[in-house]
Amino acid sequence: MTESLVQLEVAGKQPGRVSRGAERAVRRIGRSVVGIAQQTGGILVLLGKIVRRFFPPDIDYYELKRNLHKMGNRSLPIIALTSVFVGAIMVVQASAYVQQFSATAFVGWGAGYVILRELGPILIALMFSGRVGANNTAELGTMVVTEQIDGLRSLAIDPISYLIVPRFLGMITMLFVLTVFGNLVALCGAALFGQLTLGIEWRVFFHGITELLKPWDVYVGLIKSLVFGLIIALSSCYFGLAVRGGAPGVGRAVNASVVASAVGIFVSDYFMTFLLD
Amino acid sequence: MIRVVGLRKRFGRKTVLEDVGVDIPAGGLWGLIGPGASGKTVLVKHVAGLLTPDAGRVEVEGQNISAMGEVARQKLRSRFGMLFQQNALFDSLTVAENIAFPLRRLTALDERQIAERVAERLARVGLAGFGDRTPNALSGGQRKRVGIARATVTQSEYLIFDEPTAGLDPVTSQKIFDLLRAEQISRKSTALMISSDVAGLMSVVDRVAMMLRGRLLFEGTRDEALASSDPYVKQFLRGETEGPL
Amino acid sequence: MSVEAGVVKAGQGGQPGWAARRLAGIGAGALDNARAARLLYSIFIRTLYYSVRGRREKGAVLRACYGIGNRSLFFLTAVMGFVGMIMVFHSCTQINRITGDLHLVGATYIQLVVRDFAASVGSMMLATRVGAGIAAEIGSMVVTDQVDALRMCAAEPVDYLIVPRFKASVVMTTVLLVWAMFVMEVSGMLTAWGMFNVNPRIFWNLSMVDFRDLATGLTKCLAFGAAIPIVSGYCGLTTFGGAEGVGWATTRAVVWSCFATILLNFIISTTALYVFWA
Repeated sequence: MTESLVQLEVAGKQPGRVSRGAERAVRRIGRSVVGIAQQTGGILVLLGKIVRRFFPPDIDYYELKRNLHKMGNRSLPIIALTSVFVGAIMVVQASAYVQQFSATAFVGWGAGYVILRELGPILIALMFSGRVGANNTAELGTMVVTEQIDGLRSLAIDPISYLIVPRFLGMITMLFVLTVFGNLVALCGAALFGQLTLGIEWRVFFHGITELLKPWDVYVGLIKSLVFGLIIALSSCYFGLAVRGGAPGVGRAVNASVVASAVGIFVSDYFMTFLLD
Repeated sequence: MIRVVGLRKRFGRKTVLEDVGVDIPAGGLWGLIGPGASGKTVLVKHVAGLLTPDAGRVEVEGQNISAMGEVARQKLRSRFGMLFQQNALFDSLTVAENIAFPLRRLTALDERQIAERVAERLARVGLAGFGDRTPNALSGGQRKRVGIARATVTQSEYLIFDEPTAGLDPVTSQKIFDLLRAEQISRKSTALMISSDVAGLMSVVDRVAMMLRGRLLFEGTRDEALASSDPYVKQFLRGETEGPL
Repeated sequence: MSVEAGVVKAGQGGQPGWAARRLAGIGAGALDNARAARLLYSIFIRTLYYSVRGRREKGAVLRACYGIGNRSLFFLTAVMGFVGMIMVFHSCTQINRITGDLHLVGATYIQLVVRDFAASVGSMMLATRVGAGIAAEIGSMVVTDQVDALRMCAAEPVDYLIVPRFKASVVMTTVLLVWAMFVMEVSGMLTAWGMFNVNPRIFWNLSMVDFRDLATGLTKCLAFGAAIPIVSGYCGLTTFGGAEGVGWATTRAVVWSCFATILLNFIISTTALYVFWA
């Protein structure tokens, strides 16, 4: 895959007839299009390889357990902190309108709808991608740079089933669990802040949630979190394994993986918002 | 003269320096040898005031650098030139800008004088005409030589060379040792030099010290070191496999 | 220090018990956090000091501006475009379910975008992109001793590395977030027009945006722009241990910059609520 990029660069160095600036711009656009296509292709190939390890299941259960613990446990505090504030911010933003229309009964519904369907899953996924996804890319990247992956191969250990599959499963599971937890914390944060600033009773707040929201609203958010988990897992593993060029390479890969996850999260969220309505 | 007294440093739970004390006389080349991870780099970083000890102190001409604030340290550091183990060239600057950097920050020379000095340094380390390249376009040995040029460009009174010949072939290594020695003598500066190339180092030093596991094991003149009966020093200087190491 | 004393007392000379170990762990964690907070604060103060009194490197701020803008413009535009579409889609479907009167949706949406969403969502994206970049750059300089080499040349790392990025970030974050406001408004307008038949002229209603909204939104832009380089610069400067260390620094920069923007958003929104609207 890297060969095609190299050829492209070599081909581009030959003098052309078009003006320099235009040529450079076209070349840059072409290169980034090829780059994005390459990454998408690489990610899909990686997904194929992972899926193949499930038939029959070839999973290192000890590694899976270790990853689940590491990913879930270490992210819990930051997810909880973020969620409380996100819930509180929702109420702060709503309060100007609430006071204007004295619509206290709808605060629970509004906060619940936004948190459960959109903001909760998205923000928790972004934090998760920053914490766990980036860390995963850095770890895998370091293993590539220090030739540990080749070391595994030389011991006849399949790096995909030993390293990637447990991380893949771990991330999807843990993002789902953390989203459930984070949603709950965010709702509590919103309720608490609503009580403190707007004087809305807890009961009124949660009444708004239970009466005006349907179970489907909760499910949509959770389905989203599964898809986000898939995206984060794939992009962080892909960019980690594709690291080239020492310590700066690891930094660049982390950056690329976090950015790709963020774009993937928002684009997929857009389509899911339509499809799951 | 540099005096190190009872220096101790820990990183987390790992003790890197333990009660290191030594007097480094002015105007000589002081070599420092020892196996890997014995605390050599950490010791010289304390001397340059880049690290603060947990206990003990480093005195440069009677001034306790370990007790100073960052601003005062900067003043003292401007009298030091240092070559780092991995060269620490600035990736974003060209070779010439790298060498000019200490001059721009530490001296009041104008651009023409700076350019002259840089060209002189580049020629001295055999890299004339390489000024416009970036460090990434150089080989390991060339980068080392740029590092040396940057460390010596301000003509400092104190020079610190951390592994000036790591990864170089024996001929280039010896040339670099001779170059640094000539540099040190012509400026009458005090030089500290760490090297794993024991034979090359011993050919140029006045005094030599050996560290082992964070402690200073030996310090003395070159002849004293060669005649030492300490089993560690003997084994390390001769590179034997039999012995306590 | 007090932690060790506590362990000895609780353990009564023998092996420290479970509770003592837990307590020691919490204490050590608290000490670490306190130390980290002090260092972060000191970097913040020094950044402000050197911004005024420091040495100016020619072109450093401009280069940093270009780096930040160039790196983030496309990414930010794409993400914020989608966020705008999602938000308007949700608002319109919900309003259709209740009243069906869509002619105020644009005005409310634009007010929310200006006051909060462009700054808060956009700055999280910038924290990811810019913060990770700053931490990776400074982190690699730390592990390759380049920062020590700077200090040998009387170039204070905060002055030489963080200040140009700080100035550039304050300017560029504001510019980029104002651009993000525009992108969100346009993408939202197009969604409302294409999917809900809201005339763009009705949607583009700025009557609800007043001084208070603008002030709140711009304060957020400035605060986030200042927080991101300081938090990520701190993460970069405290890097240790090779390639893996740089990866760790980048991770911490992303997480803590994001958290900093959420915390600041909360503080600024609450303050604005009490100052302007209560």
